[in-house]
Amino acid sequence: MGASRFAGRFLIPGGVWLLLFFAVPLGIVLAISFGTTDDLGGAIYGWYPSNYSRVFDPVFLPVLARSVGYALATVALCLLIGYPVAYYIARFGGRRKHALIALVIVPSFVNYLVRTYAWVAILSDEGLANGIPHDVGLSDGGIRFLNTPWAVIGGLVYGYVAFMVLPVYGALDRMDPALIEAGKDLYGSRWQTFRHVMWPTTFQGVLAGCVLVFLPAVGDFVSAQLLGGPDTFMVGNLIQQQFFGAENWPFGAALTTVMMLFLMVWMVFYLRSAAKAAREGAAAAV
Amino acid sequence: MSVEAPVRPDAAPAPRRVRRSSDQAREFDRPRFLVGFTGLFYLFLFLPIAIVVLFSFNAERSLQVFGGFSLRWYDAFLSSESYRSSLTASIEIALVTMVVATVLGTTLAFGLVRSRGRTGGAFNVLMLVPLVTPEIVAGVSALLLFTQMGLRLSLETIMLAHITFSISYVTVVVRARLAALDPEIEAAAMDLGATRMEVMRLVILPALWPAILASGLLVFALSFDDFVLSFFTTGESPQPLPVRIYSAIRFGVTPTINAIGTLMLAISVIAIGLALALPRLFGRRESGLGVLLGEEGA
Repeated sequence: MGASRFAGRFLIPGGVWLLLFFAVPLGIVLAISFGTTDDLGGAIYGWYPSNYSRVFDPVFLPVLARSVGYALATVALCLLIGYPVAYYIARFGGRRKHALIALVIVPSFVNYLVRTYAWVAILSDEGLANGIPHDVGLSDGGIRFLNTPWAVIGGLVYGYVAFMVLPVYGALDRMDPALIEAGKDLYGSRWQTFRHVMWPTTFQGVLAGCVLVFLPAVGDFVSAQLLGGPDTFMVGNLIQQQFFGAENWPFGAALTTVMMLFLMVWMVFYLRSAAKAAREGAAAAV
Repeated sequence: MSVEAPVRPDAAPAPRRVRRSSDQAREFDRPRFLVGFTGLFYLFLFLPIAIVVLFSFNAERSLQVFGGFSLRWYDAFLSSESYRSSLTASIEIALVTMVVATVLGTTLAFGLVRSRGRTGGAFNVLMLVPLVTPEIVAGVSALLLFTQMGLRLSLETIMLAHITFSISYVTVVVRARLAALDPEIEAAAMDLGATRMEVMRLVILPALWPAILASGLLVFALSFDDFVLSFFTTGESPQPLPVRIYSAIRFGVTPTINAIGTLMLAISVIAIGLALALPRLFGRRESGLGVLLGEEGA
């Protein structure tokens, strides 16, 4: 097939670039994760599987568990917040639908650090969140927000909730509104209509949203760095410390590899369902 | 993700149907709870941003009390030579990333859509995985690659890393547009004697321009705002703005951050605004958001 071979050549520049700068480096991370450090702290190759037993050391295991726990809490909150919002926009947004969705994305273009830093100002001891209850007389102004797990999880929700709203909105928007009317015509209660009509129809979108929030949340280190403290550090902070500070690159590489392998399961799952949806979408469009 | 997309013979009737059904919905049930909840959600989204912008004009040092309008923090930012060089560095990185990633991503999209066979499938996976790779993994792997290659960390290493993780965005956006093109038009052009390169230049590229430009501007904004990848691949000086912000925050509260954040927001909003407006400038009826989200063209 001449056309196919002609097109095949276009795969080369981008494909080779991604091989060289994306696939090969992952291999280097794997190789160094079995290495050790020389006297000056530089990484040298070798066979030291002990880096991996150290990852699951009782000192570090709580950090891994905490990262997964925070990420799961973030996913749950994003779903609880994102689904109703996406539903509102898809069903009642009318002509303003596109504007409302664009507004969900706009905050992503304020630098993540600056946004998180604004939350530091709001949640600090003299901040807005303490000032208002104090002025109204609800508290003595002594609520501690910063350095708590909820501040870190809140920062993650704020950072990634758009990744939940967009795919759920996409699924709800594609759903025929007549399905909801039909549910009502059949005397379904609101909950029954949701449970038996909306939820199954939009489930793929919900799954996509959950994975898209979970993946970056597990690896995040900015939220814990700025809104939390040593008690709330996540695996991202641990990895960052190994490369800047502790200078134990092989251990940092082992942590990175473990995290990547753990997340790979979710990535594969997401990519497969996205590919399936694309095929079905293409088939339906024909 | 769609179970079944309704077949639309032409685009015109669709909007009317949507509007009628949402009018019906309005009559029946527009739960007050949802209106309030969505309102609170947008408040939650924009409150910190409003605070950043407002306090960037604060005459006082405080982040809690607004003491009158002033431009002193913008002045502090722009009169600092090291901050200025960081701003230039960030813009340079974003521009180079935009150009290179757009070229590589567009060619890759064309290869993926129009070639058959296994290589295409493998490259497709290779293209999609960077999109879902956590930034810290990307940062660590880029840092290790550059140090193993013996490269000195600098603006160029940041560019290499940014390009690598931007290609896929371009490919996804351009590919959606390319898949919506009718291959028979290309066949017709070739029947009329056009060579493959002429078909490319005269038929395919003109149809893809809105998607290419929109994704390029998106990549510009992403690269300009990126912190994690830059943090892992930056040299000593000049460092891109987000890295500077990070060290400034770690040294304590300074309102200059708000001025930088507001300026960066303005630059990103301009880039994204252009990306959204461009398809209209090309005289198309579809929205730029549709192009970026990969919705089918009318």
